[in-house]
Amino acid sequence: MAFLEVSELVKDFGGVVANNHISFDINQGEIIGLIGPNGAGKTTLFNCIVGYHKPDSGKVIFKGKEITGFKPFMTNREGIGRTFQIMKVTAGMTVLENVMVGAFCRADDRNLAKVEAAAILGFLGLDSVKTYYLNELPIAAQKKIGLARALATQPELLMLDEVASGLNPKETEEMVDLLKKIHQEKKITLFLIEHVMEVVMPISQRVIVLDGGEKIAEGLPKDIVKNERVIKAYLGEKYAKGL
Amino acid sequence: MEKIRDAFDFRDFSKPEKVGFAIFTLFLLIFPWLGAGSFVKAVAIQFLLFSLFGMGWNTIGGYGGQVELGKAQYVGIGAYTVALTMVWWKIPFWVSMPIGVLIAIGYSFIIGYPLFRLKGHYFAIATICTSLVLQDIFINWKLVGAAKGIELPIREHPDFLYMQFKSDTYYFYFIMALFYVAIFYMNWFRKSKLGYQLRMIKEDEEAAESLGIDARWCKIKAYSIASAFVAVGGGFLAVYNLYIDPYSVMDLDLSIKIALMSMLGGAGSMWGPIIGSAFLVPLDRFLGSWLGAQKGLIGVDFMIYAALIMIVSAYQPRGIWGIIEQFRKRGA
Repeated sequence: MAFLEVSELVKDFGGVVANNHISFDINQGEIIGLIGPNGAGKTTLFNCIVGYHKPDSGKVIFKGKEITGFKPFMTNREGIGRTFQIMKVTAGMTVLENVMVGAFCRADDRNLAKVEAAAILGFLGLDSVKTYYLNELPIAAQKKIGLARALATQPELLMLDEVASGLNPKETEEMVDLLKKIHQEKKITLFLIEHVMEVVMPISQRVIVLDGGEKIAEGLPKDIVKNERVIKAYLGEKYAKGL
Repeated sequence: MEKIRDAFDFRDFSKPEKVGFAIFTLFLLIFPWLGAGSFVKAVAIQFLLFSLFGMGWNTIGGYGGQVELGKAQYVGIGAYTVALTMVWWKIPFWVSMPIGVLIAIGYSFIIGYPLFRLKGHYFAIATICTSLVLQDIFINWKLVGAAKGIELPIREHPDFLYMQFKSDTYYFYFIMALFYVAIFYMNWFRKSKLGYQLRMIKEDEEAAESLGIDARWCKIKAYSIASAFVAVGGGFLAVYNLYIDPYSVMDLDLSIKIALMSMLGGAGSMWGPIIGSAFLVPLDRFLGSWLGAQKGLIGVDFMIYAALIMIVSAYQPRGIWGIIEQFRKRGA
């Protein structure tokens, strides 16, 4: 039995079919990349799985339990964490408080939540920014805090929406290391939308490619980069030649 | 135990705040003996009452960030429960006030459940409407005195059971006690799981949902906490004024004042509602009685009132407390 099973998922925004009969499986402990051009339906697919959108048809099964149409907070309690492509940068809560809110998902006690939040910030190397507000931090740190917040809810599956967008090459490299660390030490299955090939290709064990709401390919990264349809739709001739 | 300790633990406040709070408490304790006239005493009682309302509103409106403009209906529920049960069955205040609070909580769940499907402006408008509907019902409901309102039967002697006293001093100490219960509650609330979750909802509701927070349920809970606070104040209002009608306890004006005072003082902060009330209640009363009485100056008090609110909200949306914090940060 697959860890996450998506079958025949359809999301139709009144004429624009953002996800058209998409099916795939994810096994526990994998790292899966989801790529595709803008408007391919990647974020919609995420939102359908997590519950921000209600799919028009199809099923989402997580750990053998059907979670289709669950609200976001319910899927989170089932064990799916997610981060957002664009995080609202707010001035009302400190970094530690942000992560504590995540920890409160599993802990009722404030002191326990604080200890857990501090542990996660330490794990991600964010100790020094604990008392800052989100709007006072550079984007790389903001992205990591999004990650920390989601991790604090103790997910088994972490869905990351463009976690490396807007980062410079050095920060991107750090982020890749961090993702590897999360995967290895916390034993969390990762499912990531990513435009930056330097992130997807080295760490993904499998890659799923969407285009125009359809799944056009799925396979090992080394096979994907040679796939005719993927090159045409997304990667471009140059990238393929460069390999 | 943890909760009780949290409620009385003010250690995480800065030193000026702690000192200020201590001086303020001391001042309140000796206030009735300072020889203030009955008008000033009435203003002080009004200030404490509106602080209580404001602290209640602050849970949903401040920490939760929901623009809630229908608190007057819960003032009405609290006041009418106390008044009617006393007129009909001679039930003492100490029994009827908790009943009023329970009714307010029950009613807030019934209203809150559909209301929190709405967001933003739609929610704000809907809260106004529910309050106006209830006011209209009471205006036309013969059984509860309709538009004439109801008078509470006056006891011959001062009576603790029915909270009727000759001197305002007793009322002052009583509302002060309620005020401090509210402060301790809020001190716990801001550190509670619900407090944190509400702040997250205010910051970013989508993200809050992704962190396992049932945003709608959290808002309903906070809404009913706010309603309970306000109903306590309503009950007090009934025994203090000994006369209530739908215009005095359920008016839109009252709802807006409750929300405005907290916003002006600083929504979502511990001291905001108290500061806002300390500013606006005296301003409202003194300007109203001083300027309103002069020929040709009717309405000037409202203009000053409005200008003040506009200045503060344009300069610092987090209110007076936001301005204070801004200066403190710059100094540090």
